[in-house]
Amino acid sequence: MPTDVGAAATLPGHTPVSRRKRWARSLLFLASILGPGFITASAGNDVGGIFTYSVAGAQFGYKAIWPLVPITVALIVVQEMAARMGTVTGKGLSALIREEFGVRIALLTMLGLFFMNTFTTSAEFAGIASASEIYHISRYISVPLSLLVVFFAVLRVSSKVIERIFVVLSLVYVTYIVSGALAHPDWGRVAHDAFTPSIDTHDPAYIGMLVALIGTTISPYMQFYLQSAIVEKGTRASDLLATRIDVTNGSILAIVVAAFMIIANAATIFVFNQTHGQHPIVVNQASDVAIALAPLAGKFASALFAFGILNAGLFTAAVLPLSTSYLVCEAFGFEAALDRRFREAPVFFTLFAAGLVIGAALVLVPHVPLLQLSIASQVVQGLLLPLELVLMLVIINRARVMGVFRNTLLANAICWTTVVVVGAIALYYTYTQIVAAI
Amino acid sequence: MAFRDGYLSEFVGRPAVLDDGTSRRPVGKVVDFFVDKPDDAFPRIDGVVVRTSEGERFSPVRDVVDVDAHGTIVLRNAPSLAAPGDDRTLYLIKDLFDKQIVDVDGRKVVRINDLEIANTGGTLRVVAADIGIAGLLRRLGINRVAPQLLERVPRTLIAWDNVAPITDANPSQVQLSVSGARLSRLHPSELADIISDLSAQDAARVVKQLDDETAADAFEHLDADVQQSIIEDLGADRAADIIEEMDSDDAADLLGELDEHKRAELLAKIEDRDYADELEDLVEYAPDTAGGLMTTDYVWIYPHRTTNATIAKIREIGPETEFIYYLYVTDDDRKLLGVISLRTLLLALPTAFIHKLMDTDVVSVSTDTSAEDAAATIARYDLLAVPVLDDEGRVLGIVTVDDAIDAIIPEKIANSLPRFVRHHTKKPAVAN
Repeated sequence: MPTDVGAAATLPGHTPVSRRKRWARSLLFLASILGPGFITASAGNDVGGIFTYSVAGAQFGYKAIWPLVPITVALIVVQEMAARMGTVTGKGLSALIREEFGVRIALLTMLGLFFMNTFTTSAEFAGIASASEIYHISRYISVPLSLLVVFFAVLRVSSKVIERIFVVLSLVYVTYIVSGALAHPDWGRVAHDAFTPSIDTHDPAYIGMLVALIGTTISPYMQFYLQSAIVEKGTRASDLLATRIDVTNGSILAIVVAAFMIIANAATIFVFNQTHGQHPIVVNQASDVAIALAPLAGKFASALFAFGILNAGLFTAAVLPLSTSYLVCEAFGFEAALDRRFREAPVFFTLFAAGLVIGAALVLVPHVPLLQLSIASQVVQGLLLPLELVLMLVIINRARVMGVFRNTLLANAICWTTVVVVGAIALYYTYTQIVAAI
Repeated sequence: MAFRDGYLSEFVGRPAVLDDGTSRRPVGKVVDFFVDKPDDAFPRIDGVVVRTSEGERFSPVRDVVDVDAHGTIVLRNAPSLAAPGDDRTLYLIKDLFDKQIVDVDGRKVVRINDLEIANTGGTLRVVAADIGIAGLLRRLGINRVAPQLLERVPRTLIAWDNVAPITDANPSQVQLSVSGARLSRLHPSELADIISDLSAQDAARVVKQLDDETAADAFEHLDADVQQSIIEDLGADRAADIIEEMDSDDAADLLGELDEHKRAELLAKIEDRDYADELEDLVEYAPDTAGGLMTTDYVWIYPHRTTNATIAKIREIGPETEFIYYLYVTDDDRKLLGVISLRTLLLALPTAFIHKLMDTDVVSVSTDTSAEDAAATIARYDLLAVPVLDDEGRVLGIVTVDDAIDAIIPEKIANSLPRFVRHHTKKPAVAN
């Protein structure tokens, strides 16, 4: 307040010149549809996801859709749990795992996370390589080039900006919805198959596809990513309803896009192969599943597909190694910030660079099959998902951590069922792989 | 007391045996240690928690007669059922292991991997927090498998009197007053950096431990969203106390970000009613204008006083006022007549009159001048501050050069500059 050195002060009256801008509130609506749940769900449709859904539709037709129905329920429940843990504790999932389980479990979890995320990063580079090879550009040029692009984009551009560009470009996946509709699928058949569970236990490929579908839709890293985004945003317990709506919307949207990727592939490749048994379309590489976009884009299907996987690949390659590095450092208390110099945060930068470089190097191994590599990375995610869910379930049921926001009976029932079912499928798949190997 | 210097992790999970003079029998295993007075610089460890088949039992440290080569703890009395101390008792493993603390010396948030303990003249004390790789490896049991390997890993220890623990949010939580005192040693902008690194809950916990003035200084350096979330957790009474200590422009910015209901609640709790009214007025200005930037914390003086009388007066009010480098000369109606710098005042004859010395050609801005223009004015005329006048030429406040710089180089622009290569600004000296 003004200090009066002279006589008694009388404050001059004045009229407010301009009102403080309150347009921020009107942006709330936009923020609610572009909340962390929405962005995380978009990030779930990465290259591994696109390839998995495409191959599932091409190989197994509409029968690949029904798993998405129970997966939707599990995804919403699991994502809500992650969002709630972030909201209530204000801490990331890796920090909570460290604080609640100690160094050993944290180390194992972080090793698993690093392995899994680096493998998935290679799936992203596989997408970039596939996109370039559609245009006859060698992956030995495109992958190192995009590695550099990603590296400097992450170091110089704010991750929020990268995120926003990606979300806008993600609209390209709407083309799958249009293409799926234009392919005139047998909707009666789609509806029937979507709600008629059938598991062909004798077909190891089908079991593998199932694990990959689960792993790519409820990716373990998505829970870490979402919880960190919630913490970053500073969401409070009073915002839980809005957060739940955001998470549910995001999950449903991701599943709708996934379902249409399957439908578009089933209606084109699978149906063609049913009717042209002698000369089937063999899905061997990524460019083969671009046909699914032909009903919409015609001869530009390849171009559209290449753009889609390039966008997904570049974004996730930028986000995944970085967030993995943040998570590991958060668990172990290492300095982690992009504005530090290397000397100040050596572990952080080393892990980030290692994840990125190893991911890129894997697709440069001569003759490595890109499509199969990508789907394998999603299988690994499916195999590790039950372990992550168990850790989350233990933490979220601790009163000391969550207080009154512990899991409800229903959430526990759904999540434990997911653990048991996915765990059983994962074990059975591992068993068949071992048997096949012997 | 038979403990030697070492690390707490070496004892956790080790067996505890009872020696009744003739024979030894196992009673359970060591799961925790406790401290009754956690506010000491190097807190004394008062006892051991032993998990027995019947549940957790407690033994005072003086009951430990021996610690053998394997780390087995030998007790002379059976551990008792009674939990020690009160709700201020700190459990070292449960409350501190794996948790975040503030490294006051290194000015960052770190995680405790292990605690170093020392037998100092018969009392066992916590002396340092191990935050490095060596601590992690020890927790993983590497010291038992390959002790020579662990020896080669450099240790990262922070002396305990440089540690500010942030205790957990459990119902029986302990508030460490020592944390607040240690955090006050940091520069406000460093403290703000640390607070921003913490979760919303931990940030509020840290602010609770600070005195109002330190908290206010740190608040001025915090982003609006962090401020808001902390205020939410602090409760209106404490928040109002802190806002009262803040510079008026920063306080108004903070209040402007809140919804009207919350703002009215906080303003009602500010004890100095004049200041509350002033803040209410300031809130109305858009943050990107001179009105939004200005502070009312300036000095105005009368033209008919001598330099001597004026200097004496400034000595009197100086401690309360941030900005005394320009003195604004006004009439009774607070209309601006001129300005005089502290330098001119000090160098002038003691008996000279202010109105003879003052510069009447004053550069000023109005409340709706944009922040950029206000900053440009300050830069063009090499000023430390520019007065903000209303239509009648009355002084409403001043925009100081530091606030002008903050306004035209917002954090977002600073963040979008090349970051990997950007050199950190030199840490300002901390006046202790």
